[in-house]
Amino acid sequence: MLALDPLLRLRLLLRSLAIQGSWNYQTMQGAGIGFALIPVLARLHRRDPASLAESLGRHTRFYNGHPYLSTVAIAAVARMESEQAEAEEIERFKSAIVSPLGSIGDRLVWARWRPLCSLVGLTLFLAGAPWWVASAAFLVLYNAVHVGLRVWGLHLGWQEGREVGRALMASPLRRLPDRLTIPLAAVAGALLPLLALGLGGPSGAGSLSVIGIALVLAVVGAWRPAVAGRLAILVPLVGSLVVIALGSSVW
Amino acid sequence: MTYLWLALLGGILGLDIASWAQAMISRPIVAGPVAGLLLGDPEAGFWAGVLLEVLSLHQLPVGASRYWDTGPAAVAATAAFVSTGGPVALLVAVGFGVIVGWLGSWSVHGTRYLSARLVAVETRGSVTPTSLTARHLAAMASDLLRAAILTFVAVWSFPRLAVGLVGVPGLGDAVAALILLVSAGLTLGVDVRTMARGGRVWAAFGAGAALSAILALCLR
Repeated sequence: MLALDPLLRLRLLLRSLAIQGSWNYQTMQGAGIGFALIPVLARLHRRDPASLAESLGRHTRFYNGHPYLSTVAIAAVARMESEQAEAEEIERFKSAIVSPLGSIGDRLVWARWRPLCSLVGLTLFLAGAPWWVASAAFLVLYNAVHVGLRVWGLHLGWQEGREVGRALMASPLRRLPDRLTIPLAAVAGALLPLLALGLGGPSGAGSLSVIGIALVLAVVGAWRPAVAGRLAILVPLVGSLVVIALGSSVW
Repeated sequence: MTYLWLALLGGILGLDIASWAQAMISRPIVAGPVAGLLLGDPEAGFWAGVLLEVLSLHQLPVGASRYWDTGPAAVAATAAFVSTGGPVALLVAVGFGVIVGWLGSWSVHGTRYLSARLVAVETRGSVTPTSLTARHLAAMASDLLRAAILTFVAVWSFPRLAVGLVGVPGLGDAVAALILLVSAGLTLGVDVRTMARGGRVWAAFGAGAALSAILALCLR
């Protein structure tokens, strides 16, 4: 079996960063996963260019999982290839692993971790921290989990191989999004008065009334999310267009 | 020359949102101050990014979904805000950023078709590593170019679109600030509702708001 030495691990990890480089509506991340697997496949088929081309051709077909957890699939497929698994079995594995990777990654990263880190950064800034502290806090917090997931995925995928689906289901990652909900709501709440005071400060209105208005608006937003979501974007958009139109006509 | 630096920054940020790394340097709270740094006022850049960040908090850069191209949007908004300053300019900057974000979304959609043409031949059978690498990198280069052109056009056109931005009669700082407050308040409410339903979520939201309000009012 192929040895996943540190250099090969690093190459797979770096290539996984570009897995969505040629994302498209036909094969989605297909070419990306093929691109990421090149170092492994080139080593396995070094004496047979035709077999390498055939193998790479198989790995550029449809694939679409969560980009950060793509290392799980990349490492597991690398292990299966090195164990000379049947091509059909590898295809079945890739199809089966897409859903759990997408579901876990989307819920954890996009729906919880990224908003939480953004809200922490915004809260720090509006509480008086310098801009660079807020931006750096966001980037460090967010990428600690981002890079951690990629490295962990590579390790897990190689260790478990075709059984990685079971290991994923048993991992604490599945329950983590639910545990982040309360902290996320609390930080969103903490941000609201600070944002209200920051934006409403120049209006000259009293601090309490500005916070009160913001809270009422948040309740309205939660009560009618579909309408409020559109309104929240349309209001500044129309407002800015009116300013530009008025300003241009005045001058 | 500044336009070219901003365009290069926009290109790199456009690449970050999905095509390469996804380290989230394309989020407005990072992209805004970095653009502000190039324009000499990073704090103004952060302010331009604040509302864009809140408005795009729950947009998911996943699969075939449409999402704002927040990097170029934040760069454009920062360029618009830094040039004038004040709540009216912030309102215009946010509106302009939203438009650039939408345009970015459409341009990403177009680039995906181009990427399909670039790599589709790779699915027809055998593939050499050199050919796959070249086509994959070409798709990434096209995405970088797309975002760079979008950013350049946005920052170049803004001063020409908003010639008379200062001195608009009847629209003072208070109205502009109120409009921004309405947008931010509604969005945070929608965001909390999107997270989950239930008393515990609202209790946490309320506790966070109360604690932060008390601290902010006492320390002011």
